[in-house]
Amino acid sequence: MIWKIAKKEFLLSLMTFKFVIGAVVCIVLTGVFVPILARDYQQRLKTYHGNVAREESELRKVKVYRNIMPTVFRPPCLLSVFSEGLEKRVDDSAKVELEKVPVMRAAAAQRNPYQSIFPIFDASLIFRIVISILALLVAYDAISGERERGTLKLTLSGTVGRHEILLGKLLAGSMVLVVAVTLVFVIASILLLSFPMVSLTGSDWVRIGLMYLVSLVFTAAMYNTGLMLSCLAKRSAVSLVLGLFLWILFVVVVPNGSVSIASQMHPLRPQEEIDAQLTALKQDFEREFRAARPSSMGNASQSDAGDAFGRWYHRKLNKDAMDYYSQSYRAQASLGVKYADKSWELERAGLNDLAEQKRLANVLSRVSPVCLYESAMSRLAGTDIGSLEAFAGAVQEYRSRVVEYIRAKTNDFSATSLFTPYTFEQMQTLQREGEDPPLNLSDFPGFQYEANVLQSLRRAIPDLGLLVFANLLFFALSFVAFMKYDVR
Amino acid sequence: MIRLIVRKEVLENLLSLRFVLSLLLVVATFAVGGFAFVSKYEQQMQDYSVDSNKSLTGLRNGTGQLIRLAFYTQEVYRAPTPLTLCVEGSEKSIPNHYEFNSFSRACPAIKGRGNALLFGLCDVDWVFIVSMFLSFAALVFAHDSLSGEKEAGTLALLLAGSVPRFRILLAKYIAIMLTLGIPLLAGILVNLLIVTRSSAVAIHAHEWLKILTVVLMSFLCLSVFVVLGMFVSSRAKRSVISMVILLFVWVGVVIVIPSSGRTVAQTFRTVPTQSQLQRQINDAKARVWEDAGAGKYGERAGVGSNDITQCNPEGRARIRNDTAEQQNRLIDEHVSRMIEQVAVGRQFTRISPVEIYRQACETIAGTGIQRFSQLCHQTARYQADFMEFLRSRDSEDPESLHLLFDEGYAYTWKTISRKSVDWDAVPKFQEQNLTLGQSIRLAVWDIGLLILFNLAFFAAAFVSFSHYDPR
Repeated sequence: MIWKIAKKEFLLSLMTFKFVIGAVVCIVLTGVFVPILARDYQQRLKTYHGNVAREESELRKVKVYRNIMPTVFRPPCLLSVFSEGLEKRVDDSAKVELEKVPVMRAAAAQRNPYQSIFPIFDASLIFRIVISILALLVAYDAISGERERGTLKLTLSGTVGRHEILLGKLLAGSMVLVVAVTLVFVIASILLLSFPMVSLTGSDWVRIGLMYLVSLVFTAAMYNTGLMLSCLAKRSAVSLVLGLFLWILFVVVVPNGSVSIASQMHPLRPQEEIDAQLTALKQDFEREFRAARPSSMGNASQSDAGDAFGRWYHRKLNKDAMDYYSQSYRAQASLGVKYADKSWELERAGLNDLAEQKRLANVLSRVSPVCLYESAMSRLAGTDIGSLEAFAGAVQEYRSRVVEYIRAKTNDFSATSLFTPYTFEQMQTLQREGEDPPLNLSDFPGFQYEANVLQSLRRAIPDLGLLVFANLLFFALSFVAFMKYDVR
Repeated sequence: MIRLIVRKEVLENLLSLRFVLSLLLVVATFAVGGFAFVSKYEQQMQDYSVDSNKSLTGLRNGTGQLIRLAFYTQEVYRAPTPLTLCVEGSEKSIPNHYEFNSFSRACPAIKGRGNALLFGLCDVDWVFIVSMFLSFAALVFAHDSLSGEKEAGTLALLLAGSVPRFRILLAKYIAIMLTLGIPLLAGILVNLLIVTRSSAVAIHAHEWLKILTVVLMSFLCLSVFVVLGMFVSSRAKRSVISMVILLFVWVGVVIVIPSSGRTVAQTFRTVPTQSQLQRQINDAKARVWEDAGAGKYGERAGVGSNDITQCNPEGRARIRNDTAEQQNRLIDEHVSRMIEQVAVGRQFTRISPVEIYRQACETIAGTGIQRFSQLCHQTARYQADFMEFLRSRDSEDPESLHLLFDEGYAYTWKTISRKSVDWDAVPKFQEQNLTLGQSIRLAVWDIGLLILFNLAFFAAAFVSFSHYDPR
């Protein structure tokens, strides 16, 4: 019986004006915005490849070890087309150097930071807004509309259980909305694949599949909300008004309210405080450095030349300069590494502050299924805070490998290859014309970063679980309400 | 007759569930917005006074020697204005900090307590409430104004009397506007009560006028939605159909079109990144130094040493001034390109009446990206005035060589005067706000567009209702 009711409902709902308009709007929006987003991704991918190539060519030109300061770049995330998250709000590059720990700054590296005045647009907007409204419109008159038409009492006068009717309607509504969701995903995937530079790996497909699943659960949750309101009201007009206000609450009030409440509850420490502490640390470093390096340069003379990464190095040095610099740079390097770690602790405290506020806002916004959906999507797409923190961790780990490499090659920063290509004896004897040879960096560690699907899934599980719970909750409430429903 | 219909409609609306829900939602949001604004504003005023005092004290310390004034890096901050209560203009995302000494300036930056990870339209200003909640409520009230009466059967009875169709339309419009005016005005009152009770917020007379203008603009914006709702209602036979159409139109106009501004801006204008800008600046400076090496600035101009007889101070001064000029030019170009990119996006989003309303309010209140670009111009002009002041004071000193350039050698070669300066004579930066008349003149196109929308939809509704079958 459930299946019969479901089939009838499904065919009825599919042929309505509201579903057709909703589906057309979804298709048009997907068709218009996915190509634009994909082209933007292509542009960023091209820039990324150019940047990586440029850094590699610079690395091949570097002549002394202390000038090795490559920049690592975060590959743009293809799935930011589906959910942009924090993708464009945090630095996508970090400079790896001896004396500084790379820190990801928020909102510093966007091409045009003034564009933050526009709200974010990605494919999940279509789901959050359009499909959730469609789900509400399909569901609001499921029960109350039938009552008004008089067909509900006719159905119940047969031997149909009330739970069968409800389950049948749930099944039908879900099938109708599955059609809409599937259409959007299929069109988006086809459009994405049609771009030449876009290549979807296996893990990308797994992510897209998971996002599809999450979208289905979300639409079912919105349908259940509408169904619950339909069971609570006697007239469909009332349930529609209630549904729309609940929708505005979920879509507009809760996201913004949680953000403002989080900013109130967890006020940020001003950047000046952190800056003051950093300056104090820098002064400590200067003091220790002045104590460690030799007091005078004596009769030093040197000639410098340009090197890779916009730096310079000492080409020719006399004995005094050689002695001075070998002590000075050694002290600078080892102290620099030590102080870099200390200043990293400070900066990380500041960043944790920001991340804490964001997490608090996230927790507060879990009241609304729309916010649950948005955060689950961004976690699955790899554009949430967790993914960015994972990238930052990978960058730091890479930096410590680079530092160890340089330390090993220069014998704990004591060799002269730290700041000049030849030893003192070689400088006297060798004929040097033209450019000095670059360092042999064939065993230099390379930077690899792969986003892990399992970790993203693990981060997204709480949101997914809460969405499933919301589904069950609303359905249970509509069940209870329907049991007492007066069908006359 | 109109008055009777209006009275009946208003009473009916006041007793409906949707009115109660709208009133609750709107007033609650206005109240919350008011409290949030007060605490935020107090914090902002505190930060602003601390920061600008620090900068001014530094400037004052420099009055001991003219040369120290020349090298002092002034920091100008954007003053918080109570008009961000009405329309914040995304000021959290727009730079508020301008750093410059008398020779060169830096790119404007954002300094403050913002958290860029925490995005969202979390400025609950009046424009947000009107464009999100009240426009939605307007559609909810208007969608069944005509089709709902038809379904109830009372439209036929109404028209059977000798009431002209135009009067019915007008009466319904007035009734819905009155019904919507109640939550709007109640909310604004609650908000203003909360805000004026705080001692940190001081609203001056000319700001009250601007607030009043924003309220009038809000009514204009709501009226567009009411008339649109009535038009769709007069086309549909059943109110459900008009509700569906209006919902999707609302989603498109209020959510999709404003969000697409960013993508449109990026598609039609490109802007180099900060690192590319830095590379351009470095290249331009390197070119100047190359010219110096080739002898364009005179012999020995490139030599820098503490012994003035070995150098060519005049040439050196010109080199430094040229590099500073190149840097300033490139930075100004970069900033104006970024502003232009944003402007392209904003122009596109003006298809939506909500965006027209928001931008008009930003112009009238003097917040947002327009204020930012005005401040850029004003700080540049102030910097030029300051330089003039320095030059005139320096020319009065017979001991100096009258060469003002940005390098430590200006100290050692004594090219800038070391006389002390009277603090009152030093020009200080004062932001000039536009008067109400000037802002309205800037926003005249937007206001005109909104009125045009109103008239167009009303005419369409009239034409459509004239053919409407009330049976």
